Amino acid sequence: MTVTALVLGPILIGLALYAVPRERVAIARIVAAAVTALTFALAVADPHAADASLHWLSRPFDASFHLGFGPVSYWIVLLLSLTTFGGVLAASGPRSRDIAAQLLILQGAMNGVFLAKDLLLFALFWDLMLIPVFLVLVGTPHARAGWKYLIYNLSGGLALLLATAAFGVVTGSTDVIGRPNVHLMIGEVWGTWIFAGFAFAFLVKTPVFPFHTWMPETYAELPPPVVAVVSAVQSKAGLYGFLAIVLPFLGVEAARAQTLMFVLGTIALIYGALAALAERDAKRVVAYSSLSHLGLILLAVFSGSVLAIQGAVVYMVAHGLFSAVLFLVLGGVEQREETRDVARLGGLGARNPKLAGALMLAALAALGLPGLAGFSGEILILTGVFHAGFVWPAIVALIAIVLASAYMLRLFQTIMNGPELPDLPERRDLTWTEALAVAPLVAGFVLLGVNPGPVVAVAERAAHVAVPGAVTFSHALNAAEDSRVVGSR
Amino acid sequence: MSSALGSYPVAADYVALLPAFLVAVVPLLLLFVDLFFRGQGAMRRGVAVGIGIAGLVAAGVILAEQYPHDYAAFGGAFVQGGFSIVFSEIVIVATVATLLLSVGVGRDDQVAGTTSLLLWSASGALLMAGAANLMSVFLGLELLSLALYCLCAMSPRRTARESALKYLILSSMASGFLLYGSALMFGATGSVAFAALATATVTPLLALGAGLFLVGIAFKLSLVPFHAWTPDVYEGAPLPVTAFMSIVTKAGTLAVLARFAYAALPSDHASAILAPLWVLAALSMLVGNLAALAQTDMKRLLAYSGIAQVGYIVTAFAGQTALGLRYAILYLAGYLFMNMGAFAVIALMARDGDAIVGLPRFAGLAYRRPWLAAAMTFFLIGLAGLPPTIGFTGKILILSTSVSAGYAWLAGILIAGTAISAYVYFKIVRTMFAQTDLAHVRDERSRNALPWVAVAVCAVATFALGLVPLTPSNVLPLVK
Repeated sequence: MTVTALVLGPILIGLALYAVPRERVAIARIVAAAVTALTFALAVADPHAADASLHWLSRPFDASFHLGFGPVSYWIVLLLSLTTFGGVLAASGPRSRDIAAQLLILQGAMNGVFLAKDLLLFALFWDLMLIPVFLVLVGTPHARAGWKYLIYNLSGGLALLLATAAFGVVTGSTDVIGRPNVHLMIGEVWGTWIFAGFAFAFLVKTPVFPFHTWMPETYAELPPPVVAVVSAVQSKAGLYGFLAIVLPFLGVEAARAQTLMFVLGTIALIYGALAALAERDAKRVVAYSSLSHLGLILLAVFSGSVLAIQGAVVYMVAHGLFSAVLFLVLGGVEQREETRDVARLGGLGARNPKLAGALMLAALAALGLPGLAGFSGEILILTGVFHAGFVWPAIVALIAIVLASAYMLRLFQTIMNGPELPDLPERRDLTWTEALAVAPLVAGFVLLGVNPGPVVAVAERAAHVAVPGAVTFSHALNAAEDSRVVGSR
Repeated sequence: MSSALGSYPVAADYVALLPAFLVAVVPLLLLFVDLFFRGQGAMRRGVAVGIGIAGLVAAGVILAEQYPHDYAAFGGAFVQGGFSIVFSEIVIVATVATLLLSVGVGRDDQVAGTTSLLLWSASGALLMAGAANLMSVFLGLELLSLALYCLCAMSPRRTARESALKYLILSSMASGFLLYGSALMFGATGSVAFAALATATVTPLLALGAGLFLVGIAFKLSLVPFHAWTPDVYEGAPLPVTAFMSIVTKAGTLAVLARFAYAALPSDHASAILAPLWVLAALSMLVGNLAALAQTDMKRLLAYSGIAQVGYIVTAFAGQTALGLRYAILYLAGYLFMNMGAFAVIALMARDGDAIVGLPRFAGLAYRRPWLAAAMTFFLIGLAGLPPTIGFTGKILILSTSVSAGYAWLAGILIAGTAISAYVYFKIVRTMFAQTDLAHVRDERSRNALPWVAVAVCAVATFALGLVPLTPSNVLPLVK
């Protein structure tokens, strides 16, 4: 019941919000914020909610409307409620009602992606979550970004669909997510093709070099509330897919693709960091930093080490929290100063201490300051990857993390520090609604940084789901050599 | 079910034919009643369309009652069973929807005529659904087409006459192919019955005949490369007629194709004879979607989109699996609702229900007429194969069946075509949702609100079929 409500509730209420007159933005935002708060409360109150399952197809393969919490998805659902809450509160302007409605629909669809226990249902929500983002994008003056987003992600979605169909035909059932013990007979040939389809979809969505070109443009053009949610949660869908679907069921193929994924992840790490250093557009800086951070998570996922995968889960949540804050705060800056060109901004900190404080905290979390959430994830990932025997990738990742300090501090310093620029309009500091929007997220990454224990503990389960032969890997630290191989089916 | 082979028809034969017969006779009643009206008036339109819909509904009910039974009438020339009944119901629903769209189109004194012609055309499609020999196929096809030639010209637009003439000439050519193929097959086997063809020894003559027959079918289905007539004819014809053609012609022809592919070919040679068909399907999915990219007129766009969608449906036949046939029918039903819904939206955007509606007319529709824009978006999402619609569910089912039948390459092309089509359909969505200066946009509204009924029914069906993909089980084409 809980899980069904988490998926259908936001979608239905989001659709109903269109009945609110366009001018009554306050009502739309309050309703939407209440709904997101409620979803958060619902998930917190009932962490062991029973699965909801309804039979769907029996031919050509078994499929069900099967929703339920998994070890990773529970945290993502919480993260999603928080970011959507922030996004709804931060929405401003004449299109706020539409944005609030689309955010709710997006929340419901993405809850569906993460809660789906059936592969076909997963694919359904995967495609569904494209639509609200596209509709928001086409309402902006830059249509190109909308097309790029749609064409890239839909190609991925269709590859996923074909792979799902093949998976269903070969194995006879798609109701498999979270059931790693099911022994599936996927032949050599089919396995390769199905893996290719899934991997393409997940790499595009994350995104990972070389499929990332839609991302900077999309992130730059989306309104801040929506980009906060997309960057915080939608980008995790691909990584989640690797963890929940590819590693458990296509372990052999994943192990074979390990080198390729490491190369792609490493390129994304370095390329993202360098591009973030060179970029002048504040939102694009964060976009490229995401590319870099998500590359790190990809390394962790494919390292086959339980520790690194635990780190990956922690870092997924952490990255969601701080990137949402970064985008919301930068959105606030853009709204005030009517530009997001770093070169034209400066000295805002003196007049906007609260805004500067929020940006500071998020930037510190992003660069991995100990005590904040970014650090807990990074250290687990680096240790895990290193222990698994991948010395060089770990060193490269370390370089990228050092670069992260450079671009994050540069971003903060050029916007907030320095002499005040005379030609910038003077506006109010962070309003209380904006503060309310980012407060839970900031609290989240501080708490997760101080005590990542609960997530780490749950993530261990996720890691054992992801890495078959859990017994071998439960002592991953002692058996570093074994963990080089991602696993066998 | 026994029937009087070679002797006089018996009562049971007429029972099998009753629905098609009813649909063909109701227009006579309708025209007779229309004689009592003088001059113009909404009443006259209402009565004509009302009688037409009543006749169709009655036929639909009779068909539903016949569903559990199998009839082989007139010596096996006309076979009524699960297969033909499902196709027939699709034809009937599409025709009723067309009538809802056509109420406001044309002069008051023309409506009885157009309604009659639509019903006759539909009865042709009903014949095709049950046709089990080459003669009855041709009979149904000509009945369907002859009425359509007239209907295409039923508009004061000059392009309508062009459309009718083009359709007449090219469709006649297609019929020629079909007839020549039939003649060769008859020459090779000495029989026109599908059942006899299925057991015949394959000679080059038979293969050639089957090939020509398939060319004729491909013409009618507008599979690439036999598709060139479709956009021009669709563009010129009145809007409801275009909507009708886009579904009923396809349904009738697909029924013939399915019966031919599944039940009229010797099983050991069927895959060789049908192989070119899959290539045509692949071409249709690619070329149809690519050509649709450039279109700005809605009818032309939907014509090209229809070419691609038929490609998806024919893909399901690949390998001639029973499941594939069921999914083809399911997708056809889904296409009926998605496509008819889109046409109904367009009808609501033109004052007389039949104007040239170009893409610019959709500018800012989401801000002017949000309900209409929401409905259109939903239908386009469905046509693009995204959830939560039958477009999504139907596609995944077709993909699965073609993968399991060993036609993974065709599934790959289906995916590629769908990726291209996203741009086609979302171009319209973008136009509706983009911020534009509304001052220069022509905001026309249809006088007739009945298309709203079609929009609502189609939207509900598109959604519901997507969640509960009903696939009737006894649809294998029987040939007694």
